[in-house]
Amino acid sequence: MKESDDIAIKVENVNKSFNIYYDRANTLKERMLFFARNKRREKREVLKGINLTIKKGETVALIGVNGSGKSTLLKLMTQIIYPNSGTVETYGKLTSLLELGAGFHPDFSGRENIYFNASIFGLTRKEIDNRLDEIIEFSELRDFIDNPVKTYSSGMYMRLAFSVAINVDAEILLIDEILSVGDQHFQEKCFAKMKQLRAEGKTMVFVTHSMDSVRNLCDRAVWLYNGEIRMDGNTNEVVDEYLRVTT
Amino acid sequence: MNIFQKIYNYRELLKTNVKKEIRGKYKNSILGIVWSFLNPLLQLAVYSVIFGALLAGGDPTYHIYICVALIPWTFFTTSITQSAFTIIGNGDIIKKVYFPREILPISVVASGAVNFVISTIIILFFVLIAGMGITKYILLYPVVLLIQCVLQLGISFIVSSITVYFRDLEHIIGIVLLAAFYATPIVYKVEQLPANLQVLMNLNPMTHIINGYRSIFYYQQMPNMKALGILLLISIALTVLGYFIFKHLQKGFAEEL
Repeated sequence: MKESDDIAIKVENVNKSFNIYYDRANTLKERMLFFARNKRREKREVLKGINLTIKKGETVALIGVNGSGKSTLLKLMTQIIYPNSGTVETYGKLTSLLELGAGFHPDFSGRENIYFNASIFGLTRKEIDNRLDEIIEFSELRDFIDNPVKTYSSGMYMRLAFSVAINVDAEILLIDEILSVGDQHFQEKCFAKMKQLRAEGKTMVFVTHSMDSVRNLCDRAVWLYNGEIRMDGNTNEVVDEYLRVTT
Repeated sequence: MNIFQKIYNYRELLKTNVKKEIRGKYKNSILGIVWSFLNPLLQLAVYSVIFGALLAGGDPTYHIYICVALIPWTFFTTSITQSAFTIIGNGDIIKKVYFPREILPISVVASGAVNFVISTIIILFFVLIAGMGITKYILLYPVVLLIQCVLQLGISFIVSSITVYFRDLEHIIGIVLLAAFYATPIVYKVEQLPANLQVLMNLNPMTHIINGYRSIFYYQQMPNMKALGILLLISIALTVLGYFIFKHLQKGFAEEL
């Protein structure tokens, strides 16, 4: 068995910085007129020399205070952004739930939006057809599924989006702050679904501030502080230490 | 993973994008799909009247002469103007989800091509009404269309990715396309130009595309296959170059938008 066979995500020596502009010139005119002003930018290092290997079937939480680089790391894993140096490699079909409902079109019906949204995740028509009932069932929106999405309440919208995302059958799921979808009943359902996915051996990476969900779902926690990994290990140990230091 | 495999895996996204593009275009207008025909027809009427008075010299088939050029030209300009906007317009999804970004410029060209094929009915309509009929050369229509698509795909890759970093391009393109309209034999004949301009005209790729369609539908003769062959090679090279530019620039899309 090759080493990479049981690795899901490999992050090596990753550095990421963003340019912070004070007044961004977008057009040629602005660039020429305000030549001096463009120099006023700052490089902010968000991640510094991150090394992280996540094995297949692991459920990992990234924790840390705001601005510690959790979401940036997750975006790098998704390949929405790319590192300045170092490499991020993923093995297996990957789905990211960074924000729900990406690609929803308000004028189209819930059913059509399931197709749009699932196709962004790389599913084929046939695969979506096969999952359609399951998705609608999970969202509990059967009576509204042929209404345009703009008539939905925000809760309904989130439920539909989550149902699509959770049913795309990826091997790796990257989830950012979305465990608070809908009412108590639906949240519990989501949790049950995540646990089921964990039992099926999916790899999951969460970014969340809810320590209860971390303890409940994850078997490993990684604490990021100022763009560096401060602690990595057993969930309860890391969370206890994190809570002790930050509160 | 190679690009073809990636695009094949995401074919459903490509399809829904094209569908959304075509259906969404006239969604809230009363006449709906009728505009797909009405628009080029009215445009054609304007050009036929104005340039017919100026340039036609009493040619009764002048409107067909323009028609066979204007419709592919519209395909060309719309796909380029839309390319300039496609990445910015889809910024919301780009910032949130991973998918091969190449899908976006490809679907612009693909949906344009579908629209163009539908509009070709207008050309056929005029040709039949005028009693010119259709000849075996129509079999070469897909060939010219393919070359045009490859050419536009190359331009589309370059334009769509550069506009993200250099927004002025969107406006520059408008002017360039306006000038290009007159630099392409759409409303006049190449022979009407001085000899040195005719040579220059041959450097314009759209000249050969337009000449191709015109040979097929209007003159009903064999298109200049040598010119089209060379253009195909250049277009493939442009698409490969465009793809590498796009591939390089797409890494920063989510941060720039």
